[in-house]
Amino acid sequence: MLQKPRNRGRPNTQAERERDWARGAAEEAPSTSRGAGGSQEARGTSSQGGRRAEASPEVGPRSQQQLELKVAELVQFLLIKDQKKIPIKRTDIVKHVIGDYKDIFPDLLKLAAERLEYVFGYKLVELEPKSNTYILINTLEPVEEDAEVRGDQGTPTTGLLMIVLGLIFMKGNTIKETEVWDFLRRLGVYPTKKHLVFGDPKKLITEEFVRQRYLEYRRIPHTDPVDYEFQWGPRTNLETSKMKVLKFVAKVHNQDPKDWPAQYCEALADEEARARPETGGPTPSS
Amino acid sequence: MGAPHPRSPRPAGGAEAAFLPGPPASGATPGYRAPSCTQGGARRAGIMTDVHRRFLQLLMTHGVLEERGVRRLQKHCYRVHGRTTAVEELEDFINNINSVLESLYIEIKKGATEDDGRPVYALVNLATTPVSKMASDFAENELDLFRKALELIIDSETGFASSTNILNLVDQLKGKKMRKKEAEQVLQKFVQNKWLIEKEGEFTLHSRAILEMEQYIRETYPDAVKTCNICHSLLIQGQSCETCGIRMHLPCVAKYFQSAPEPRCPHCNDYWPHEIPEVFNPDKEREAGTSKANKKPSRSRQH
Repeated sequence: MLQKPRNRGRPNTQAERERDWARGAAEEAPSTSRGAGGSQEARGTSSQGGRRAEASPEVGPRSQQQLELKVAELVQFLLIKDQKKIPIKRTDIVKHVIGDYKDIFPDLLKLAAERLEYVFGYKLVELEPKSNTYILINTLEPVEEDAEVRGDQGTPTTGLLMIVLGLIFMKGNTIKETEVWDFLRRLGVYPTKKHLVFGDPKKLITEEFVRQRYLEYRRIPHTDPVDYEFQWGPRTNLETSKMKVLKFVAKVHNQDPKDWPAQYCEALADEEARARPETGGPTPSS
Repeated sequence: MGAPHPRSPRPAGGAEAAFLPGPPASGATPGYRAPSCTQGGARRAGIMTDVHRRFLQLLMTHGVLEERGVRRLQKHCYRVHGRTTAVEELEDFINNINSVLESLYIEIKKGATEDDGRPVYALVNLATTPVSKMASDFAENELDLFRKALELIIDSETGFASSTNILNLVDQLKGKKMRKKEAEQVLQKFVQNKWLIEKEGEFTLHSRAILEMEQYIRETYPDAVKTCNICHSLLIQGQSCETCGIRMHLPCVAKYFQSAPEPRCPHCNDYWPHEIPEVFNPDKEREAGTSKANKKPSRSRQH
């Protein structure tokens, strides 16, 4: 069962509790919620025996328990942050979780990544090489019936995203914003009109999807009136593939992917490139 | 796809050995290597398969889930991965997962709703101050509002805090200033996200909050906290003995006095003056095809 190491730096004052409460930080030692109340366990000394380090966390050796706890915090932090689909910055990780354990940050991250993948089936991946931001990729294929047993709505916006991704790919990997709206208008989706499912489609496509790194949105210079272009963002390349998107487009048209030979060739080449072993690992080496 | 490097079954190293470190960083303790010793009598950590992972992923989308829904989820995960035979008994299935989660200081915790004793499950954090999930969903002043409501609920006799009393504390909130109108909406957000339950203008803790925060509540309010005389868990709503003051959850009352001709207080033996509720029967409910809306209307104002 879980040991209950005594945390020397345990915040006891109300003010400190409040601070920690709001931060969700883990200054406190783990105490199990089984059995008798925590108040007895909250005081008193550790019964660890020789395993724990006596020194404060800043200096000296750290115990197995402390390290384990740090990895646990890190795993939870990554899971919660990824829920919002915003890439997680390394600086945020260090600031909110790692703290004094900065010197072993790469090891902690590696361990957290291993646990995330083994336990939850999520792979921690760097968004772009050397970007120092991370996302979680699901190693399990989502299945239609998942929607019936979920507790949240999932993302109804995924349909719209797939359409835009399809448009971009079929048009040669870049498309003007005006062309996107020309197409979407035919589906009853307008930049200026509130949509029952998507809410504000313009905001969704030009802000939300961009912030989540599914799309790149760049201004085209020297255009009047100003026009923008869309391309796939780094998250898209990690989460899906040209072939998958082509298959989606084909399905929508009730045709075969091979009916678009140019795109099919491109998608094949992309598949081959993916099949080659990766050169970089998912976690940073710094 | 997605077969992560499965761990070979561990010797009885339990959670510790499952925590597999790399080469020790400079300055690391000798204890950094996976120890061969165990936490005395630790159970062997189970093995995760895609069935368990999908289960966890989908369970995490629920703040709290009734047992019926958990069983459905379990069956779904077996089905998706093409294994419809030999669906493990739910309790073993969950214990298996929990043995793996142990090293991450989280667990799938089972509890019961305080009003009618429905078994519910939630994935709870054992280590950190348990509102970190809340902390990411709410602003500082919103969290403080919750804390104020929580304090009122714990201090109350009935386990309920009135909307008025909570809103009167709006001026004392940390962070951005919040008006009462806004606070009303925040309280509704808490209800929607299953942190609070509202009944007739009064608020109490949702089973989700109780499961997730029991430990935090016991540690933060050791004097005000109430516990059940039967199950010894945290008690927010329940019945109490008018003579000696001990308290019991409604479902605990139901079970304890189930076949008793004359209910008597387990502590002082005085006559138990309250109405004895019925034990929760999932089968009965399935037959009647009732939904949660048919919960007993009686409020547990029986203190």
